[in-house]
Amino acid sequence: MDRVVGDFVALLRRHRVRVSPAEGLDALEGLRLVGLAEREGVRDTLRTTLVKSGEDIATFERLFDLYFGLQPQPVTPARVHPHVHDNGGTATELRFGEDLEGDPDDGDHDHSHAGPEPIDLRRFLDEDKLRPSHDIHGESERLRLSVFGQHLMLNRNPDTLQKALRSATHQLRVKRARSFNPGAVAPEAGAEELPVELPPVGFDELVDELRELGVDERLVAALAAQADDILRALPELLKELLERRRRLAASSFDDEEITRRSLRTLLDLPPADQAELEAAVRRLGRQIHGARGRRLKPDRVGRISVPQTLRRNLSYEGVPFEPVLRRRREQRPRLVVLCDVSLSTRNLARFWLHLVYGLQGLFSKVRTFVFVADVAEVTQLFEAQTLERAVETIFSGSLIDVDENSDFGKAAEQLASGLEAGLGRRTTVVVLGDGRNNGRPANASALEEIAARARRLIWITPEPKWGWTLGGCDMPLYERICTRVEVVRNAEELGAVAETLVRDATAPGRRRAVQAPSLPPERLGEGR
Amino acid sequence: MFEDIDDVRERLAEQRYVCDRRLATVVFLATKIGKPILVEGPAGVGKTELAKVLAGALGVELIRLQCYEGLDEAKALYEWEYGKQLLYTQVLREKIGELLGPTRDLHEAATALRGQEDVFFSESFLVERPILRALRAEESAVLLLDEIDRADEEFEAFLLEFLSDYQVSIPEIGTVEAKSVPIVVLTSNRSRELSEALKRRCLHLQLDYPAQQVELEIVRLKAPGIGDELAAELVRAIQHMRGLELRKAPSIGETLDWAQALVVLGADHLTKELIEETLSVIIKYDRDAEKAREWTGSSATS
Repeated sequence: MDRVVGDFVALLRRHRVRVSPAEGLDALEGLRLVGLAEREGVRDTLRTTLVKSGEDIATFERLFDLYFGLQPQPVTPARVHPHVHDNGGTATELRFGEDLEGDPDDGDHDHSHAGPEPIDLRRFLDEDKLRPSHDIHGESERLRLSVFGQHLMLNRNPDTLQKALRSATHQLRVKRARSFNPGAVAPEAGAEELPVELPPVGFDELVDELRELGVDERLVAALAAQADDILRALPELLKELLERRRRLAASSFDDEEITRRSLRTLLDLPPADQAELEAAVRRLGRQIHGARGRRLKPDRVGRISVPQTLRRNLSYEGVPFEPVLRRRREQRPRLVVLCDVSLSTRNLARFWLHLVYGLQGLFSKVRTFVFVADVAEVTQLFEAQTLERAVETIFSGSLIDVDENSDFGKAAEQLASGLEAGLGRRTTVVVLGDGRNNGRPANASALEEIAARARRLIWITPEPKWGWTLGGCDMPLYERICTRVEVVRNAEELGAVAETLVRDATAPGRRRAVQAPSLPPERLGEGR
Repeated sequence: MFEDIDDVRERLAEQRYVCDRRLATVVFLATKIGKPILVEGPAGVGKTELAKVLAGALGVELIRLQCYEGLDEAKALYEWEYGKQLLYTQVLREKIGELLGPTRDLHEAATALRGQEDVFFSESFLVERPILRALRAEESAVLLLDEIDRADEEFEAFLLEFLSDYQVSIPEIGTVEAKSVPIVVLTSNRSRELSEALKRRCLHLQLDYPAQQVELEIVRLKAPGIGDELAAELVRAIQHMRGLELRKAPSIGETLDWAQALVVLGADHLTKELIEETLSVIIKYDRDAEKAREWTGSSATS
């Protein structure tokens, strides 16, 4: 049992659910207590011990169904062969493994191959060799036919099989569709992608394996007949699969779907990056400071307040056993994020939105806006939706026209007038954009107005400073207004921004020092 | 303690808490393995209630700690009773002469006094706060750490020792181990993400708004006097409203409030007018109310 659980944990990890060894042990302990009699009990136990965050539950359910669903359902054997390896029951049906990428659209298609009669092949094979984990765990996460293939091999005539496969795949062009490239999304007519990976080498090996297993020749002959049926059904099966893909593809060829798909791969950061990003968000959350309040409030650290201390310690004859400390407490910061989602900054914008989404979960007062030429607030969208869907909505163009040329001047004006009440001593405004207005007026006065009312104005641009002088970039103009300009091109540098935010907060006196007109322009923006 | 999962369900049902098998499994495991339960979910789905009925079902004490920003050990764990210490010092002032009687010099007196130091930092001067109280309870209690997401991250870190080993370290005394392992229930509204370390130590339970059938059962159980038909209509309306993308979806608590309000009003059917009049019971934001009204309007015409 521990091997099965260990296997399942490995599978979860592969699908980016973080499971610690201790949790694996908990799961085992839990299973011992609950017992294995009921499938739902096992599911509940594994869920509660292994999965600790709401987002991962869906992944867990899917994998659980898959992993434990593929096990042959133990049924009383219909026919008893006296000399078989007795290790498990009869498989009543052979199933294709579901597509592990888990397209929500095709989750409910269950491909079961209903043979002319129940195929009880599994009992003649070592169960371990047939374990579905071999399929699920395969390096490639695509549907594989290896279990199926193994059974096919009982037909000791590989040539026939090869021929059948060739004819089936002749018009199908079977290939690994690992990444979905939106640019090349419309395939040439007739050349459909089939997410099927046929075991390319295993045929001969499997025959050998069967021999090693000592399967009786007579038995093999008897089974060959059954295998023949499968073989005959194979082209049909493939066709059916293809048809399904085609139906899916037909329904998904509108733009939004393409955006969605390409977005998924983009947002699907590798686990290391994801952890890094989460850590960065946490750091940011701790490090972004608000303004200091005016009133002194009791706190754990600070200066002693004589009157309050005396009052509290009256019962001890005025001996100050319980000093009351006070200090100016920092108020929670407010964050306004303005993000350029036009084509030129799109890649970084995605990443940034990812981060802001996390931030918004951390603070109560984060307002997020996106702009190209017009501004739209997405704060509530972020609150209501999952990250993936929110970003998808933004880039789908239903909020603002994302194919416009970016016009920050206009956006700043809209923001300045729309944010009347939202800016104050505690507000840090962060703008993400490249500052290219494509020939439209820079409108620096609108930005100035924002800067004057906010505590800090930080601009994050993906473009290095030497590029600012080239073609239609108003960054030099904006830089003077901003508290600081950061050049950020990757996650690491974004982390560095967090650190500079701290530095800024620990020097509260130097508020917008760069704004002083007496400083020579060369020294401006040397914040980093 | 519970015998098996069905036992959990029965005994929680006795406490008038409707629970599914999933929840029962988690509770059963928590009591058996001795792990804390971390309950996450939106407001008003019965997270806190779970701890209460658990204490009721087991017939043990419920110790509750409401978490908030700035919560520290002095409030959660223990504090020295300075006043009492002072009083004792005064009482003992005369005794001290006797105690230190035969000493020859100051040094010796100080040494003798140091030998008695423990008296003042003994457990009798310790004010127990919820966590320590749960640890020192003779019979294992249910400890509810409510809304842990409101506490600071430092507090979370401070909890780790307690949650994994059921012990706490008090510098002056040493390590206090649990006399009987308490059943710990942590709740979180997910206003922020909890740390991995904390989650790892807990069994996780995600509670969501109940399905229609379950909610109906809850309404019947908790709002006696409501007609079957009204209850069904009410639950259907609530379930629908949760799908309206409201800023604050109506919780079970609000369902029950609404049910009670309707019972008080003597309604036996849910009409459009009635919904609009009593909307303020379940909807707490202007914009939500608008959406809800739109919906009642459209559903009435259809």
